[in-house]
Amino acid sequence: MMIGKMVDDIDVRMPEDVHDVGKHIPTLNAYLIVVVRDSRGNIVKVHRQRSHSPTANFIGLFLPIAYFSSNNTSYTITNATGGTCIYLPNVASNAQCISYPNVATNVQTYLVTIQVGSGQQSNPYTAIALAAPIANGSGAGQLIYESAVLPQSISINGSTAYFYITQSFNNISGGTVTITEVGLLLQVQLTNYNATATTNCGQVLVWYDVLSSPISVPNAGSVTIYYTFTVNP
Amino acid sequence: MVTPDLISEEDIAKLIISDDLPDEPMLKAYIEAKVYDKEGYVIQYHRQPMRSLTQYFLALMSIPIIGTYQGPSTNKAVGPLTNTLSLPTIVGAYGVGSANISWNFSILLGSGTQAFSPTLTSLAAPIANGTGAGQLSYGSVLATYSGTTIYIYVTVINYSSTTINVREIGLSATVYIQYNASGNNYASSTYSYLISYDTLSQPITLLPGAMATFKVALTFSG
Repeated sequence: MMIGKMVDDIDVRMPEDVHDVGKHIPTLNAYLIVVVRDSRGNIVKVHRQRSHSPTANFIGLFLPIAYFSSNNTSYTITNATGGTCIYLPNVASNAQCISYPNVATNVQTYLVTIQVGSGQQSNPYTAIALAAPIANGSGAGQLIYESAVLPQSISINGSTAYFYITQSFNNISGGTVTITEVGLLLQVQLTNYNATATTNCGQVLVWYDVLSSPISVPNAGSVTIYYTFTVNP
Repeated sequence: MVTPDLISEEDIAKLIISDDLPDEPMLKAYIEAKVYDKEGYVIQYHRQPMRSLTQYFLALMSIPIIGTYQGPSTNKAVGPLTNTLSLPTIVGAYGVGSANISWNFSILLGSGTQAFSPTLTSLAAPIANGTGAGQLSYGSVLATYSGTTIYIYVTVINYSSTTINVREIGLSATVYIQYNASGNNYASSTYSYLISYDTLSQPITLLPGAMATFKVALTFSG
């Protein structure tokens, strides 16, 4: 019996009624929560929507070793400026895996920022950058980016587990700034174990959402964004 | 003014946990099993939603989102890796060496059942890999992806002389941290986690000589 062939053929001759009919119970949800404050620090708006959009880069970086080894392939990551690099994780000396903190040579892979923008694009999966990023600054149309706050662990509440990332932005531009898109930028560094083959992939967009309604941040006000990820809600 | 002051951690948790918004979730997952008799004919087909991801799935998924380092100049691993996956904050690396992280998935099968908890670490009664009574011979795990869906497959054969009923299934992740050990020698530390757990809505029965393929599909909304 040819096991490999049978696995390859698993979808052959399936009756139509066994295919995806959308009757799933949610297992993993992501939310985008936006809290806007005025110049006195009072909350003037709370916006909450489902976040839908891991990008192709995220899925490529999440693939298991078995994908690469059983298909003898690599994954091409595209960064926010259009540059590319080859992701090839494996348990081998020549692998190109995500870097990990160590006492010798560090090439950091870290969350750069939650980035906000004033544009939008229709296919988040293929997005490699925000359509119109809002710059970090105090000029017209700009916001001051504070540092992103990372989760310390996965939190548990009954049968639910969750974590969230948050970041605040201050508006001292002199006018209202409107946000219509949000994304997560990850600095990706790939390396083998002895640092003889290290690749700086640059800043990679791993998550992207268009807001279901624009968020206006008043002058002297601020906005805090929460990206939340939960399982088994 | 909508609310008086800063949102507390508890308020955020309530906003996160309440699943009260319409629209589709960002991940749909299902489990599929197909049983063949000795002659290769399909004798049982089963498909059901995969409902139950653990905290370890979230921690693993956080790597392509927040990375592994706490920041551009902080050479320490992020909290979900150290506090949830119990990975080292920092690993030793010899000379000019470095370190990296990678992972693999596998499918676990069991004959027991248990209540789900996001902190589960194992199946209730794992079916061992082998040819003895109550054991299944596991093939290599295969993985493919198409667009927003990742598929993981495994094939098992019942070489024993007894019937085996599969009642529970889990996805397991094996995490590897590789580094340059003393003397420029390669080293790898291995960690394993149960990242999903589901009981099957009906047992998958493998008579002696039968083969079954199990498939897990993870579809992100993209």
